[in-house]
Amino acid sequence: MNITTEMASRSLNHVGEILCGDQVQIVHRKDSDILVLADGMGSGVRANMLSTLTSQIFGKMLLEGASLEECVETVIDTLPADPRTGASYSTFTVLQIFHDGRGILYEYENPGCIFIRDNSLVPIPENIRIISGKQINTFRFTARVGDTFLIMSDGTIHAGLGDLMSFGWPWEDIADFALRGHKDGQSPLREAMRICETCNDLYYGRPGDDTTVACVHVTNRTQLHLMTGPARDKADDVRMVQAFMSGDRNVKRIVSGGTSASIVSRVLNRPMRVSMEYDDSGLPPEGFIEGIDLVTEGVLTLARVIQILKEYAQPENVDEGFFKRLDEPNPAAKVARMIIEDCTEIHLYVGTAVNAAYQNPDLPLELGLRMNLTNQLSEALEAVGKKVEYDYF
Amino acid sequence: MLNVSICVGSACHMKGSREVIAKLKDLVKMHQLEGKVLLNGSFCTGNCQHAVCVVIDDTVYSVRPETAEAFFNNEILARVS
Repeated sequence: MNITTEMASRSLNHVGEILCGDQVQIVHRKDSDILVLADGMGSGVRANMLSTLTSQIFGKMLLEGASLEECVETVIDTLPADPRTGASYSTFTVLQIFHDGRGILYEYENPGCIFIRDNSLVPIPENIRIISGKQINTFRFTARVGDTFLIMSDGTIHAGLGDLMSFGWPWEDIADFALRGHKDGQSPLREAMRICETCNDLYYGRPGDDTTVACVHVTNRTQLHLMTGPARDKADDVRMVQAFMSGDRNVKRIVSGGTSASIVSRVLNRPMRVSMEYDDSGLPPEGFIEGIDLVTEGVLTLARVIQILKEYAQPENVDEGFFKRLDEPNPAAKVARMIIEDCTEIHLYVGTAVNAAYQNPDLPLELGLRMNLTNQLSEALEAVGKKVEYDYF
Repeated sequence: MLNVSICVGSACHMKGSREVIAKLKDLVKMHQLEGKVLLNGSFCTGNCQHAVCVVIDDTVYSVRPETAEAFFNNEILARVS
């Protein structure tokens, strides 16, 4: 088995607080992907520090190769407890999914994880283990492609408490709501956001507790190849196109750049058609080459793609309006959508030739700097959680 | 059929491909040449210094929105009438 995950989260701060008392930490290891959600007791600065401490211990230790069990022990031994009640100052849920399919879930005092498989809810059995004197629910399973996990802080089940809902939003109802909104192919952020926004509505926009929803999708590794810019040495054109076309039919392929597209068309001996239909994005129209998923102009389109990715990398900026713009039919939105929703790994094939015309002082500066653009693109890709590889020609 | 390719690549786009295409489309329609002239888009032809590049029979012409009409009269109309 060769699986991977996509993870995203969304938080609401307790009304009036600048800092969130919930923290989500995502760690990509060679053998597995891990998500930690910690909820510090109370709200504001103190809660933020406690949950940051908790999630950071997990993050740092896991990255160094520690087992989840060692981390749980360390966290519990490190966390201060309330001297009166003995309650820990931070609760946590940790989900680790290995690329070979093994999955482990550790839950400590957070609302139960919602597990969706084949469009139905899968109950997570109670299996309490005592680690350093604390009761930790542990669940081991074999993950399958399509599995979805929603991990939440208790701000969700308290939503609307005493106001719109007498006892908050019951876990069963949240799970049911999550299941009804669950669709294959939508991004985990969209799925997490849907629940979080509903909590915000139940709180009348004034959350009485820090509220966080994290969503984990188990997916096949899906690769996207993106070629941009002609090779410095024309003799490398064929080699570059061959590398770009490598891999099986499941690999998605985008060519971004007029000259690059012409090269691909020539090397593959497949004709290229270029649309003359403009949309209102102000970007050049797209082209079409058989077997290539998307053909666009280069620098202007990519600059726009980077803008979209940067926006997506700041979850607090992402709202329904963002996804509406992402669904628009313009070439930049299409590239961004394929990156965000259709792939887990991206391989960039970057040509380093300098286009003499772009040195023309009549043209805006941004055109002259493909390398700069490529660097910005790779930063943006990493910021949205994609694994990126490069080949320069 | 006379094939006329207008580049919509980065440099040409910045120099007004969109306007050039709109003008040429209008002129073709006005002279009822839809059956004789085929306008199509193209990506970079490697002549970005001459943007907007328009290619007829392997010859590259440099056209601006303001010279589109003269280009139509001299190069397109002259060939088909």
